[in-house]
Amino acid sequence: MTSRREALLLALGGAAALAGCGRPAAERRTDRILLWIAPNAAEESFWKVAVARWNAARLGLPVQFTTIPTAGNSEDTVLSALVAGTEPDLCTNVFSGFAVQLAALGQVVNLAAMPGYDALLDRRHMRSIMAGWQQGTQVAALPIYSSPTLLWWRADLLEQHGFGAAPATYDDVYRFCERYAVRQSRYGMQVIAGRAWQDRWFDFIAYYYAASGGQPYLAGTHALYDNAAGRQAAGFIDRMYRRGWTALDFDAEEPLVSGLAAGAVRGPWDVERFANIYPETLARITVGPMIAPVTGTAPASTFSDSKGAVIFRSSRVQREAFAFLSWALGEEALNLLWLQRTGLSPARDDLLINPAFADYYRGNAIARAYAANVATARPPALSEQTIDIQKIMSARLVEPLMLGSASPAAALADAVARTDRMLEVAA
Amino acid sequence: MRTREPLSREAVVGLSLAGAYLLFTAIFWAYPFFWLAKLSVTQWRFFDEPVFTGARNLLTTLQDPQFLQALWNVVRFLAFYLPIAFGGALIVAFGLRHVGRGKGFVALCFLLSNVSSGVALSLVFAKVFSSTGPFNTMLFDNFGVRVPWTNDPTLAMLAIALVVAWKFVGYYGLILYSGLLAIPKEIYDAARLDHAGPWKRLTRITLPMMNPQLMMVLTFAILVSFGLFTEPFIITGGGPADSTATPQMMIYETAFRRLQPSHAAMMSILVALVTYALVQLARRLFERKVVLA
Repeated sequence: MTSRREALLLALGGAAALAGCGRPAAERRTDRILLWIAPNAAEESFWKVAVARWNAARLGLPVQFTTIPTAGNSEDTVLSALVAGTEPDLCTNVFSGFAVQLAALGQVVNLAAMPGYDALLDRRHMRSIMAGWQQGTQVAALPIYSSPTLLWWRADLLEQHGFGAAPATYDDVYRFCERYAVRQSRYGMQVIAGRAWQDRWFDFIAYYYAASGGQPYLAGTHALYDNAAGRQAAGFIDRMYRRGWTALDFDAEEPLVSGLAAGAVRGPWDVERFANIYPETLARITVGPMIAPVTGTAPASTFSDSKGAVIFRSSRVQREAFAFLSWALGEEALNLLWLQRTGLSPARDDLLINPAFADYYRGNAIARAYAANVATARPPALSEQTIDIQKIMSARLVEPLMLGSASPAAALADAVARTDRMLEVAA
Repeated sequence: MRTREPLSREAVVGLSLAGAYLLFTAIFWAYPFFWLAKLSVTQWRFFDEPVFTGARNLLTTLQDPQFLQALWNVVRFLAFYLPIAFGGALIVAFGLRHVGRGKGFVALCFLLSNVSSGVALSLVFAKVFSSTGPFNTMLFDNFGVRVPWTNDPTLAMLAIALVVAWKFVGYYGLILYSGLLAIPKEIYDAARLDHAGPWKRLTRITLPMMNPQLMMVLTFAILVSFGLFTEPFIITGGGPADSTATPQMMIYETAFRRLQPSHAAMMSILVALVTYALVQLARRLFERKVVLA
């Protein structure tokens, strides 16, 4: 027989034992730098070599790395780790908007205040790129790579329709579409990337950057894109839809393969995908600039899909972590290794003039095209309200233009007014 | 003074078995529930201490046009989903009654759609409904038109309803089929003697006698509607113009993209309350007691 008191004690004891099974917040180590990297084989193979070299040469505190332990989204995992206190010292694969959110929450250090920051910018030739990553004197993340979005065109289809080179201006695209497009069956170009808020980076924002010469579309609590460049970009989208030169979506298939569309915005990450799945199509691809109203001497600006590294405020080895980051980003040999392993352009503006990278680019026309645009490509606006800004852009600007329910001027004015209102309320 | 009797061995075993469940519930239900309740009346951004803000989250949420739109979208979804789901489920149930051999296999086939991955089927349907997809190509080849399934606000919601119905119709059909089997044959025989036609037998006997199963399906359908996430997230991304954004998408984005967990907690509580209210309303309006005398 057991007394009620004993049964109660047993239950409480069990509960206490179970409660004790939970992992306590990780104790901050000072004997090594913990690094999280993007969960993909290419980047993992780079960091494996870089970390091994650092540790072997005893250049600083030893580094221990793992891939971000995620099955889905890196941001969610980083956030969970921060809440649980299990975050590393240093984390890569952070996009600029998330870095700004982490900075606003006081979770990452200002890298611009780290000793050796200015020297790194000079050594890596990344001053022009940092403009898009800096808020006043604050730098929440250092860009590791910069992937400009450019237009892929089927060279064989261009040639068949009298185009010796990829279209560079709106008029070029219109002329090609007049020759190539067949209403509701074949389209000149995929104009809109998709429906999600992130897709605006690969259509309107890229067109806006190209039309404005890389001018920002946001400043503080004001959206800036209801201007001449915004009207040109919106007018382009509108005309492509009204003339039936593009489809509402291309979800059913990769349009470049069948020629359903002869051109589409693609990033350098698509090279590996095409090489694996559509190698014959890749052989027929020519990479053109982001289309703009007119062409200039410098490459047209475009959107840059970049990821960077942050150092968490909880780290007790912040300076040591920055020293490692500085070394990994600043070494030309490692930048070349990064390029060879991942195919993504390091965020530096001397890629095509630096002899260290000449061999790599000599035999790789697509990579060369992307490298030529790294210096002029711009990251997204640094804002905590990225989602809402781009949701409004989708719902009030892009979708009305797709369906023809508003004129470009009216849609722009509406989108900008709503964005301003939202930002004022949020502020 | 009365002394407490010691527990019997049977009572200890019972308490231990129940204790495991209670402990599980306390950790994985009660703790998150109270944390959610606390969050909903505080301001917390993951890393600081929650600060009590009273009804501020409630007011913010009630004035949030995106959240109100998401709730309205559930009503729009139900307007499409209920007729499709009930119609399809009744066809499955009546059809199963006429299947001779292999009834179990047919029932299993209907269940397959229910257990298949929501992500996988959403990806497939996104391609099917694409403006350049096979369905539209067939329509264009035969009739010269393309339907903007995922680009028109009304059609986009219809497309989502069709996908979700495809997933659940078999399951609902089996529930209704169990109700059909429970209706005594004698009642139909008596009705035939009274010269009741097929329509009268359906509306006066079959459907009223299946009321518990129909109510169960209706309740499940309401719960599914308020829990929608995967299909609209993948197929339409909540667009066009937020016309297919759902409360669950709003909660996810608010908590983990906008980093406003307190606001999201209040949203989830409101969604739970609205769901409960709608289920209760449906029961009040349609639930009947079925008694076989």
